[in-house]
Amino acid sequence: MQGGSSGIGYGLKYQARCISDVKADRDHTSFLTGTLSLKEENEVHLLRLSSGGSELLCEGLFSHPNEIWDLASCPFDQRIFSTVFSTGESFGAAIWQIPEPYGQSNSSTLECVASLDAHVGKINCVLWCPSGNSDKLVSMDEQNLVLWSLDSSKKSAEVLSKESAGMRHSLSGGAWNPHDVNSVAATSESSIQFWDLRTMKKVNSIERAHVRNVDYNLKREHILVSADDESGIHLWDLRKTKVPVQELPGHTHWTWAVRCNPEYEELILSVGTDSAVNLWFASVSSEKKTSESPAETSRQRVNPLLNSYTDYEDSVYGLAWSSREPWIFASLSYDGRVVIESVKPFLPRR
Amino acid sequence: MATEAAPMDEKAKRMRDLLSSFYAPDPSISTSNSSISASFDNINSTSFDADQYMDLMIKKSNLEVLLQRHVQMAAEIKNLDTDLQMLVYENYNKFISATDTIKRMKSNIFGMEGNMDQLLQKIMSVQSRSDGVNTSLFEKREHIEKLHRTRNLLRKVQFIYDLPARLQKCIKSEAYGDAVRFYTGAMPILKVYGDTSFQDCRRASEEAIEIIIKNLQTKLFSDSESIQARAEAAVLLKQLDVPVDSLKAKLLEKLEQSLDGLQIKPEEASKLVEHDDSSNDTESNDQHPAKIHEDAVRGFSEAMRAYREIFPDSEERLFKLARALTAMHFENMELYIRKRVSAADFLGIFRIIWEDVVLMDEVLPEAALSDLSAEAAQVTLKQFVARTFSHLQQDISDTLLKFDINQKEAVEGEVLKVILEASQKAVLQGTTNIFQDFRQLLDENAGIFIKMRDLISGWIQKGFQDFFRSLEAQFLVLSGKTSSSNDIEGKSSDKIHAGLILVLAQLSVFIEQKVIPRVTEEIAASFSGGNSQAFENGPAFIPGELCRVFHAASEKLLQHYIDTRTQKVSVLLRKRFKTPNWVKHKEPREVHMYVDMFLHELEEVGKEVKQVLPQGTFRKHKRTDSNGSNTTTSSRSNTLHSDKMTRSNSQRARSQLFETHLAKLFKQKVEIFTKVEFTQESVVTTTVKLCLKSLQEYVRLQTFNRSGFQQIQLDIQFLKAPLKETVEDEAAIDFLLDEVIVAASERCLDVIPLEPPILDKLIQAKLAKSKEHNNNNTVSS
Repeated sequence: MQGGSSGIGYGLKYQARCISDVKADRDHTSFLTGTLSLKEENEVHLLRLSSGGSELLCEGLFSHPNEIWDLASCPFDQRIFSTVFSTGESFGAAIWQIPEPYGQSNSSTLECVASLDAHVGKINCVLWCPSGNSDKLVSMDEQNLVLWSLDSSKKSAEVLSKESAGMRHSLSGGAWNPHDVNSVAATSESSIQFWDLRTMKKVNSIERAHVRNVDYNLKREHILVSADDESGIHLWDLRKTKVPVQELPGHTHWTWAVRCNPEYEELILSVGTDSAVNLWFASVSSEKKTSESPAETSRQRVNPLLNSYTDYEDSVYGLAWSSREPWIFASLSYDGRVVIESVKPFLPRR
Repeated sequence: MATEAAPMDEKAKRMRDLLSSFYAPDPSISTSNSSISASFDNINSTSFDADQYMDLMIKKSNLEVLLQRHVQMAAEIKNLDTDLQMLVYENYNKFISATDTIKRMKSNIFGMEGNMDQLLQKIMSVQSRSDGVNTSLFEKREHIEKLHRTRNLLRKVQFIYDLPARLQKCIKSEAYGDAVRFYTGAMPILKVYGDTSFQDCRRASEEAIEIIIKNLQTKLFSDSESIQARAEAAVLLKQLDVPVDSLKAKLLEKLEQSLDGLQIKPEEASKLVEHDDSSNDTESNDQHPAKIHEDAVRGFSEAMRAYREIFPDSEERLFKLARALTAMHFENMELYIRKRVSAADFLGIFRIIWEDVVLMDEVLPEAALSDLSAEAAQVTLKQFVARTFSHLQQDISDTLLKFDINQKEAVEGEVLKVILEASQKAVLQGTTNIFQDFRQLLDENAGIFIKMRDLISGWIQKGFQDFFRSLEAQFLVLSGKTSSSNDIEGKSSDKIHAGLILVLAQLSVFIEQKVIPRVTEEIAASFSGGNSQAFENGPAFIPGELCRVFHAASEKLLQHYIDTRTQKVSVLLRKRFKTPNWVKHKEPREVHMYVDMFLHELEEVGKEVKQVLPQGTFRKHKRTDSNGSNTTTSSRSNTLHSDKMTRSNSQRARSQLFETHLAKLFKQKVEIFTKVEFTQESVVTTTVKLCLKSLQEYVRLQTFNRSGFQQIQLDIQFLKAPLKETVEDEAAIDFLLDEVIVAASERCLDVIPLEPPILDKLIQAKLAKSKEHNNNNTVSS
C-alpha cells in the first residue's frame, strides 16, 4: 500500500494478535498465526517463506472454533501448537495438531490433541518448555500457574502441579527461561515473578508495575528484557534485580511486546501500539557496564535504535523472530497484516 | 753550459770518490755506487780492465776520436798528479804544526804542584782562627738568650695578671670583641696553670667572661639591637664555645610561635577583609586586623632576616618555616572558601597572602616561596572556580525545590509560574554574578594572577561547560527520569510533582535559548584566552554541544512530563476496564465517573501548562465566539456517527468491519503521534491523544455485551465536547474517539448503539449534575 517497504506482506481476513515461529520446521521458515474475531469463523494460517525469501505463501488454512488470544508452536513437532481462545464469555486453552497432509490450502479442521481445562478465569498464555523435546507445558490464567505433561500420542494432557499466585497478583503473561528449564517468569500487575517449577514456588521478583511482556535472552544467561506501558523497554540482570541494566525508550505509546534475537544477542525487537516495530541494539553485559568508557555510553545513548519499521496501519501486537533464519522476523498488526522483514542490513559485524 | 757543467761535475765526483776510497775502511762500499753506474769501461771502478777498454775504444772509435781521447787522457793524468802532490804537501804541513804544539805543553806543566801546596796551607790557618773566635764568644751569647726568654715569660705572666682588669675595662667600654680576643689568647695558659699558680686570676677572668657571655646573649636576643651587632655577638659567642645550637633552637622556636599569630583563621578572614575595605573611614583607628596582620608579618620577616644574618648556615630551617606559613595560608584559604565567598572577599584574602609572600620572599629569595605560592594559588583558585559553579548549581536547585508544589493550591495558584520565573532569574542572575566575580579575578593585578590569567580563562570556560552538563544531569535526576545512584529507592518518581518536570523542561529551553548564547558572548568578550595552551583538544566551552544537550534534555523532560501525566490517566483507565465484568454489564444509566476524573486530570495539565509554557502561534480560530457553533458541529458529527451506527447495525457485522476498513483506506491517515512542541496546545493535545489511544487499547482487550458497548458509547459521546474545547487538533481527536467506538463495537457481541435521544438525555443529565456540583463548589467555597 505504501512505498519504501522492503517487507513481504500477507493479509489475514480478520483482526489478529498473535504469531508464532514454527521452530520445529527445520526445512522452512514458517510462521503460525491465528485470527481474533468475535463473530466470524476464526482461522489459523500456516505461512511459509518461499525458498527465495521473496514470497510468503499460505501452506495451510485451518478453521479454529474461537477467537485466538495466544498461539505457540510446539518446539519439537511442527504440526502441534497451542492456542488460548475465548468465546467472548469464557476462556479456554488447547493443544492442536495440524492434520496430514496439510499441503493444500483448503480449509480443514484441526485435530484437538488435548484441552487444557484446569482453568476458570481469563487464560493468558501457554508456554512450551524451550528445551526442545520435553513434553512439559505451562499455562497461566490471571491467578494460577499450571504445569502440564503432554502425551501427544495418547492425546492427553495431565496436570502435574498447580499453584495459585494469589488474587492480588493478576498474572498477564510470561516466558520460560531457556537457560533453566525449571524457571518461568510471569508478569503481574506489580512485578515480574520468577517461579521454580519443581517446587511451584515464587523464588524471586522484580518490582515493576504494568509489565506487559518479557523475553529471555537466548544467548546470554541472566538477561531478561521487559516491556511496559509507560517507560519502554528495560534490560535486567537477574542477579541484580533492583535496577535495570539498561533502558531503551520504547515506543511513543505502549510497548506491547519484546523479543530477543535467538542468534545475535544485541538485537532486540519491540512492537507497540504506535503502529511501529523498533529494532534496538543493546550491547548489554554486566561486565561491560562498569568498564564502559563514557564515550561508548554516550554513543549508545545517541542511538540504540537501529531502525523503526512504521509501515503499519494499526497497533502491532504479534512479533516473532525466525529461529531458522535469525535475521528474519514476522510482525502482525491488529488489522490482520503479517509483515516479514529482514534485519540483515543492521546485523552487527563480527 | 750543459756540456761544460758535465765534465766539471764529473771531475768533482771523481775527486770525492777518490777521497772517500782513501778514507773509507772498506773500499767495496765506497765503490759500490760507482761500480753500478759505471761498467767495466769506467776508469774509476775497481773492476776496470785497461785492455778491454782499449779494445772497445779501438773498435768503436775512429782515429781522430782516439787521438782526441789520448790528448784528453794525458791532460787528466797531469791534473791528477798535481792534485796528489798538493794533498801530500798539505798533510805534511799539518803534522809538523802538531808536533810543535805538543812540545810547548810539555814545558808549561813544570812548577804547578808547588803552587798548589801553598794554597792548601793558607786555607788551613784561616779555619783554625775562626774556631778560636767562636769558642771565646759562646758563653756570652748563651747568657743573652736566657735573659731574653725570661723577659718574654715575665711579660706573659704580667698579661695574665692583668687579664681580669682588662676584661672589666672591655666590659665597661663594651669592647666585647677585644675581650674575647684577650681571653682566647690567655686560654691555653690558663688551661695548663689555671689550677695552681693563676687560680685567682683565672677565676676573676672567668667571671668577667661569664658577664660578657650574658651580655652577649641578651644582646643577641634583644630586638632593639642592630642586626649587625647581634650577628657579631653570635660570632663572639661561638668563639667562646658557648653552645649556639640551643640559642638557634630557641630563636627558631620563637619564630614558630609567632606563626600561630600570623594565621588567617577562616573565621576571621571575612573580618579581615571587611576592615580592609572600610579602613578608609576609620583611618585614625590603627586597630583594624588587616593592619595588625600586616605588621605582624613584617615583624616576622624582619625576625627571619635577623636570624638569617646571625645563623647563615641554617637557612634550611627558615625555608621550612616560611613554606609552612605559606602552605598554612592557603590551607586556611581553602577552608575559608568552603563557605560561600564573594570574589571580592576572595581577592582580598588573596591579596593579603600575596603581600605576605612578597615580604617573605624579599628575605628568603632562595626559598622559592613565590613558586610555591603560585602553585598553591593555582589549586586554590581552581577550587574557588569549581566551588562557585557548584554554589550556583545549588542555588538553582534550591530555587526549584523551595516551593512546596505538592500542596493543593499548586495547581490553582500560580506556583509553577513563580517557580519558573524564580529559577530563570536564578540562572540568569547566577551566571551574571559569576561573570562579574570572574572579571574581578581577571582584573586583579597581583603578581600571581597575571601569570595565571590564561589558566583562569581556561578554567572558567571548562567550569561553564561542566556546570551546564551537571546541571542537565541534575535536571534529569530532579525530574526522576534518571535515578541518581545514591538515592534511596523509596524516594522514586511518585514523589516528584509533574509540574516540576514541566518547569524543568521549560527551564531547559530557556537555558538553551537565552542563557547559553549569553554565556557564549560573555566568554568571547572577556575570557577568550587560555584555549591555546591549556586545552589542546579544542576550546573547553562548546556552546553548540551544550545547546544540543539542553535541547535534548528539554524534549526528554517534556516527554517525561507527558508520560507522567498520561500514566496517571492510564492507571485510571486500567482500573476502570479491569474491574467490571463487561460481558455482564448492566444498561448504562449515567456517564461513568472516570470521565470526570479524566477531564479533571486534563484540566490540571491545562492549568500547569498555561503557567509554564508559551501559547502556540497556531490558535483555533473562533475560539471565543464559537461556543454555540462548537456544540452544533459536535452534534452534527454526533448525528452523522449515529447514522452510520444505525446503518451498520442493520447490516451484518462482517460488512461493518469491511466498511471501517474501507473508510480507513479512504480517510487520510491521521497522524496521532506528532512531535511535541513547547506550546500549551501541543502538550495538551499530545496528552489527550495518548490517553485516548490508551483508552482504545484497553477497549480492545475486553469483550462487551450490548450494555457494555452502550456505556462506552455514552462515555465517549460525553467526552467529545469538552475534549474538542481543549484541544487544537480536532480531526485527530475525532478520529481517536471514533476509533474507540469502533474498537468497542468490534469487541461487542451484540452491537446495538443507544438511540440518540437517550444518549442526549443522559448527557444533559450529566451536564446538569456537574453544573450543580460546580455551583455547590463555588457556593461552599
